[in-house]
Amino acid sequence: MVQYNFKNITVVPNGKDFIDIILSRTQRQTPTVVHKGYAISRLRQFYMRKVKYTQTNYYDKLSTIIDEFPRLDDIHPFYGDLLHVLYNKDHYKLALGQINTARNLISKIAKDYVRLLKYGDSLYRCKCLKVAALGRMCTVIKRVAPSLAYLEQIRQHMARLPSIDPNTRTILICGYPNVGKSSFINKITRADVDVQPYAFTTKSLFVGHTDYKYLRYQVIDTPGILDRPFEDRNIIEMCSITALAHLRAAVLFFLDISGSCGYTIAQQAALFHSIKSLFMNKPLTIVCNKTDLQPLEGLSEEDMKLVMEMKAEAMKTVIGQGGEPTDDQGVLLTMSTLTEDGVIAVKNAACERLLDQRVEIKMKSKKINDCLNRFHVAIPKPRDQKERPPCIPQAVLEAKAKQAAEKEKRKTEKDLENENGGAGVYSASLKKNYILANDEWKEDVLPEILDGHNVYDFIDPDILQRLEELEQEEGLRQAEEVDDDFEMDGKELTPEEQQALAEIRKKKSLLIQQHRIKKSTAESRPIVPRKFDKDKQFTTRRMGRQLSALGLDPSKAIDRARSRSRGRKRERSPDNDGGDAMDMDVDTPNKRLRMRSRSRSRSVSRPPGEVVPGEGFRDSAQKVKAQKLAKKSSKKRNKDARRGEADRVIPTLKPKHLFSGKRSSGKTDRR
Amino acid sequence: MRIEKCWFCSSAVYPGHGIQFVRNDAKIFRFCRSKCHKNFKMKRNPRKVKWTKAYRRLHGKDMTQDSTFEFERKRNRPERYDRNLTENTLKAIKTIDKVRSRREAKHIETRKKGKKAQLMREAVKELEQSISLVKAPSVLEEDKSYTLPKIKVKVSQAEAKNQPMEE
Repeated sequence: MVQYNFKNITVVPNGKDFIDIILSRTQRQTPTVVHKGYAISRLRQFYMRKVKYTQTNYYDKLSTIIDEFPRLDDIHPFYGDLLHVLYNKDHYKLALGQINTARNLISKIAKDYVRLLKYGDSLYRCKCLKVAALGRMCTVIKRVAPSLAYLEQIRQHMARLPSIDPNTRTILICGYPNVGKSSFINKITRADVDVQPYAFTTKSLFVGHTDYKYLRYQVIDTPGILDRPFEDRNIIEMCSITALAHLRAAVLFFLDISGSCGYTIAQQAALFHSIKSLFMNKPLTIVCNKTDLQPLEGLSEEDMKLVMEMKAEAMKTVIGQGGEPTDDQGVLLTMSTLTEDGVIAVKNAACERLLDQRVEIKMKSKKINDCLNRFHVAIPKPRDQKERPPCIPQAVLEAKAKQAAEKEKRKTEKDLENENGGAGVYSASLKKNYILANDEWKEDVLPEILDGHNVYDFIDPDILQRLEELEQEEGLRQAEEVDDDFEMDGKELTPEEQQALAEIRKKKSLLIQQHRIKKSTAESRPIVPRKFDKDKQFTTRRMGRQLSALGLDPSKAIDRARSRSRGRKRERSPDNDGGDAMDMDVDTPNKRLRMRSRSRSRSVSRPPGEVVPGEGFRDSAQKVKAQKLAKKSSKKRNKDARRGEADRVIPTLKPKHLFSGKRSSGKTDRR
Repeated sequence: MRIEKCWFCSSAVYPGHGIQFVRNDAKIFRFCRSKCHKNFKMKRNPRKVKWTKAYRRLHGKDMTQDSTFEFERKRNRPERYDRNLTENTLKAIKTIDKVRSRREAKHIETRKKGKKAQLMREAVKELEQSISLVKAPSVLEEDKSYTLPKIKVKVSQAEAKNQPMEE
């Protein structure tokens, strides 16, 4: 049986949906293919299976419904009554009864038709029987559909009922509408009940939980009750009456002494007296709410009298529990939920009384003896009759007294905040308690960043001293700099020397350039020999110029050079020249002469483009043509950088730039 | 609030600027702008990227060691507030800044002009050694100076006679 949690009831399907579910399941889970030609037993079996399967499904589903819905007589009377109040016991029972009959009917139908199917003689007959069986079952369900809908609604509502444990410590709040019950529960628990100025804002029971002395208490907020005869009460009021009647709880009866709920104290007192029978055996506390509007002392005579009557009634409950008969501390209390004045006191009083009552009851029950047997409090036996009270030194007592006094007098920061306008308006001064050398500095604002530096990085107690050192150093440095500047004017070159230097550099670079050209060409190309002097580099004029640039007199050197090249005149010079000339004479006089004259005459006489006939050609024209043809044939080869006809070398077989890359459009077949 | 240093270019990151990257080994990299951040993501070494302070310091373009750098040190223990000390510090920051910037400018100046003396010496040496390329040794013996030789031009007698008439 479900205790107090109705959330686990399975969903009750709609009538139509129910039928659809079952029938589609039958179609899916049983074999579907059957032919005329099968054996008759097979046909019968086929259709019987379908009927039985459908019946089983219906039976299962309806059984779950019947089992899961609570039976009102088997659950706690509080829930029984609550469900009765909400859903009408009879209607509920009827619905469940109908489901039960439906279940039985379906079973009967299935049994009958299975019996008939046993004697079916053809496929068609069996099929008709099966159709009839399923049809009748579905009709039964269709007839029961309204009950199913009703049960579904109940289920949804039940799932939302507050989970109240009827056996644990509970505090019940009751009273007229609009007296402040929901505000109270909002204050002491985390429940968030609607609080509105109109009556009957709370329409059902609400549960909150609160703690007291390490125990958890349920606090139940009820809808307001009006003073009416029992029979005229509506469902909402009945909820609260039910709760009052069945739950073993401490009751807080709320009284609005300011009358702002719209009902006078007399009316509220009348209500109290009409339901006081429900307060039997429950620790009752009268709570006067809304004291901020009307303090208890300011009540009129009659009202005071009424309140005292109620208190007297409440006292009776105290006495009835076997508690202290003269303890009226927790019986009549005042509070204001708006200013939160006395709220905690009320809660504590109610919890305390409930706890006492429960402990009393437990002590009186039989079970307690088992527990009592298990503990034993050891009390040491006194050695002698000497009194030994606890020893507290005087200083400690004084300090404690002083602390207590201080605590009352000290002004907390929170008080300060409240004085100066509250949380949003006042911001506490955090610098108040700083310990500084000079108290004037407390409110100083220190810049954190200056000129792109963090000021904190520079703070140093010796900073002045170091700064002085730095300044001295800087002074010294500046003096040195001035000295350095003077030394800088050193030697300088005169303009003539600069000119000479420029010339030297120019000549050097020229030499280097020429050398580079020579070096690069000499390895790969034949060099033109000196005698075919194309650039006219080796003329005497040039030599003369260069020598005079060096500062020497070139005339003698020019003469000598010229005399040597022009066919020799025998100059009888007295110096080394004669010696050399003699040597030359001795070796090869004639040969030299002949070579010189012939080569000179030959090179001068023929123009460069002339082709001499010979070598097998008829005349110059033919030879020219032959030369042209030879040139033409080799021109292409030269352009391909081939050394000759037979040169078929491919330097790179697959140059990357010809074989790689994508086309933006088109194929890459040809490159 | 602190002004941090950009890990890549060593410039100042003011509050509210830049990006801070925390690596899995809990090392924090702060960047002043996305340029530095992107360079970092490309795994570039700031010591090789010309415009960063790291490069400049490493290659001697900017001043590296100086007593003015000693003043600015990250202190972990806070000092108790003292108004006079703070005043002095704020003034000191300004003077230190001035001194430091002057020294840095000097450093760059010396760097840029330093070569004059050396070039002069090289020029003189070259002139002495290679003067023979433009001046024949015999001429050099007569005229010891390191200048270009005077080119002697033969003036004919006829011309000499004509000169007084032209004048």
